Amino acid sequence: MRVADQQMYGTLLANLQRSRQQLLQAQEQISSQKKVTQPSDDPAAFGQIVLDKSSLAQTDQWIRNVQFGTARLDAADSALGQVQNILTRIRELTIQARSDTTSAQGRTTIAQEVRQLHHQLIQLANTDVSGQAIFAGTETNVTPFVIGSGDSVTYQGNSESQSIGVGRNQTAQVLLPGSEVFSGPTTNVFDSVSNLLSALESNNAAGIDTAIGTLDQATNQISNAQGKIGAMANRLEVTKTALDTTTTTIRQALSNNQDADLTAAITQLSLQQVAVEAASRAFSKIFDTSLLTMLQ
Amino acid sequence: MGLNGLFGIGTSALATFQRALAVTGQNISNVNTPGYSRQQAILTETDPQNGRPGQIGTGVQASEIRRTVDTFLERQLLTSHERQGQFQASRGALQRVQPLFGDSNDQGLGAGLNEFFNAWQDVATNPADQTARTVLLSKATDLANQFNQHATDLAAQRQALDGQIGQTITDINELASRIAVLNKSISQAEFSVQQANDLRDQRGVLLNQLGELADVSTVDDGTGQLTVFVGRGQVLVEKDRTYELQGAANASNSGLLDVQYDGGGGAATLNSVIASGRLKGLLDVRDHTLPSIQGSFDQLASALVTQVNSVHQAGYGLDGSTGQPFFAAAGTTAATIRVSLTDIQKIAASSTAAGVPGNNVNALAVGALQTTGFASLGNATFQEYYSAAAGEFGSTMQGAERDVRAQEIIQEQLEAHRAEISGVSLDEELVNLLKYQRSFQAASRLIVVADEMFQTILTLKR
Repeated sequence: MRVADQQMYGTLLANLQRSRQQLLQAQEQISSQKKVTQPSDDPAAFGQIVLDKSSLAQTDQWIRNVQFGTARLDAADSALGQVQNILTRIRELTIQARSDTTSAQGRTTIAQEVRQLHHQLIQLANTDVSGQAIFAGTETNVTPFVIGSGDSVTYQGNSESQSIGVGRNQTAQVLLPGSEVFSGPTTNVFDSVSNLLSALESNNAAGIDTAIGTLDQATNQISNAQGKIGAMANRLEVTKTALDTTTTTIRQALSNNQDADLTAAITQLSLQQVAVEAASRAFSKIFDTSLLTMLQ
Repeated sequence: MGLNGLFGIGTSALATFQRALAVTGQNISNVNTPGYSRQQAILTETDPQNGRPGQIGTGVQASEIRRTVDTFLERQLLTSHERQGQFQASRGALQRVQPLFGDSNDQGLGAGLNEFFNAWQDVATNPADQTARTVLLSKATDLANQFNQHATDLAAQRQALDGQIGQTITDINELASRIAVLNKSISQAEFSVQQANDLRDQRGVLLNQLGELADVSTVDDGTGQLTVFVGRGQVLVEKDRTYELQGAANASNSGLLDVQYDGGGGAATLNSVIASGRLKGLLDVRDHTLPSIQGSFDQLASALVTQVNSVHQAGYGLDGSTGQPFFAAAGTTAATIRVSLTDIQKIAASSTAAGVPGNNVNALAVGALQTTGFASLGNATFQEYYSAAAGEFGSTMQGAERDVRAQEIIQEQLEAHRAEISGVSLDEELVNLLKYQRSFQAASRLIVVADEMFQTILTLKR
């Protein structure tokens, strides 16, 4: 076979360029730490990366939703805890007022404290999270419970509840309307207190007796609501744990598809470095073997 | 045969070796000339004279300066140039579109869709919150802008490719006319039975350049002139005449250029006839790949507008408004998609008029669109459809890269093969140089000897 000079230079140059190209690719992988940065790097992996990123964004959003819901439920739970304390205090005062030894004057004094507590109850029922009432149903922009003439309290909200998205086709309830917590379903908490007030002020022992009964009903109703809210919070917590696991799994899959295997990339880098060096050396050796050098 | 015959032999040898040395010199000086084919001085004996005891030789002559070339290999090289031209053009064009899919850096449409739907979720979680609503409108506008930008970029790329197609047509015509000129020179030079070696090499180079631009085939018409065909047998060059290709704006293809040819029988469009070369690569990307990506984006935009609007119009805004389109109903392509809602109060998060502001059922329904498959997208979700489009583009791009790499190797092998046959080996030429130099010296010596013999004879007379 004839070997022309063009062949030697051409082949060497082409090999050198290919090695350099692969060297560059290895360098890019190492510096970007990614093996797939554009569709052509690996079309199937790229498509999967797009989907994984979407799943990850969704999951992150659901976690965000859950955190928001949890904050709301925590606020509701803490408000209802205080409501229970107040109801307990009112009950204590009522027991004390019912005693035959308590005078009409004494009952009026007790009534004053109960009225304060009544106002506190209303305040708690009007709790909001960043300006949104949490016991108003979906009418979150109104003050749910407003005190009118006498001690009567009216509910301004509605009886709708609210759910948030926490997964694919999954929602979780994060709101209990005030109509279910305070003004129903078994008794109206505020009415029971206002009835007590009028009994105390009119020195009506029988009325006070009745009030104890309705107060117990109110306590039960709040307990029920607390139970429901606890269950909702629990559901969110379980969901959050599951979502966290999902996030980890997706991140892992994303990393497998997208991230460069550094060991492999560095090995490839050294390999190509050697190849480039060898080709360069060969290039300089070509001249030594030319007849031209021998003839001089 | 007298002494004069010796002078004759010596002179023919001197002239012949000098010519052979000239050929060697030509080879050495063209060792790096692209397309150069090694030349050989073919030495033959001159006709002998009759004599006793037998015929006696009269010297040497260079009967031919032969160009070493394998025509079959040259054809393969031409084909390889055509394919390389096509693949490189495709890859180059696709590479410029690839940045549209910037999803690994959270910059593509996929990322835009994620942010859009997340913003809806935020509104669903906190329907009365003004900030969440403001963010939603801004994310929706971002998404629409992203669609618009993609459409603009694709259209700009098509325009840029169109410019390249126009330039390629000009280049083809230019090369064709240069080949026509060489055709004439070669036929004139070879009229006197000489081989126009260097002119043929030059024409070969031009032909390969032409091959990179379009698929060409050639026929030698017997007078050393090449008839060059382009596409499916359209004559581009015949003897010293050229029939030019023309770029004609096609109104039904956004005014982009059609490749037209008029061989005398009226203009015909060659777009689908061009089978390889740069022109084919450019036409393919301009008229197939890019419109197909554009189509996917349009389909996606259309589904998004229809689905989001349909759900949105069923809901109620904070101000009690209902039936409001979220996206402008008329803009159902990537280029025209636009958010029509400007008032955050009108974002219909609620499913009832009475439920505002806390009712979020409708916002949840819009959010749920993210995970719903639609018939118009082949039962895929928005993301799945986009992912498939990105994957498909990736495959096309990857294929183009592979084609280029493979063709580069084939081309290298063919070039190496050509070098083996037609390339200059300096070692070989150096040996020839020495050989002819020595021969020249010996022939000179012959003349000196003949001269001395003459002198001897002349001195006999004294």
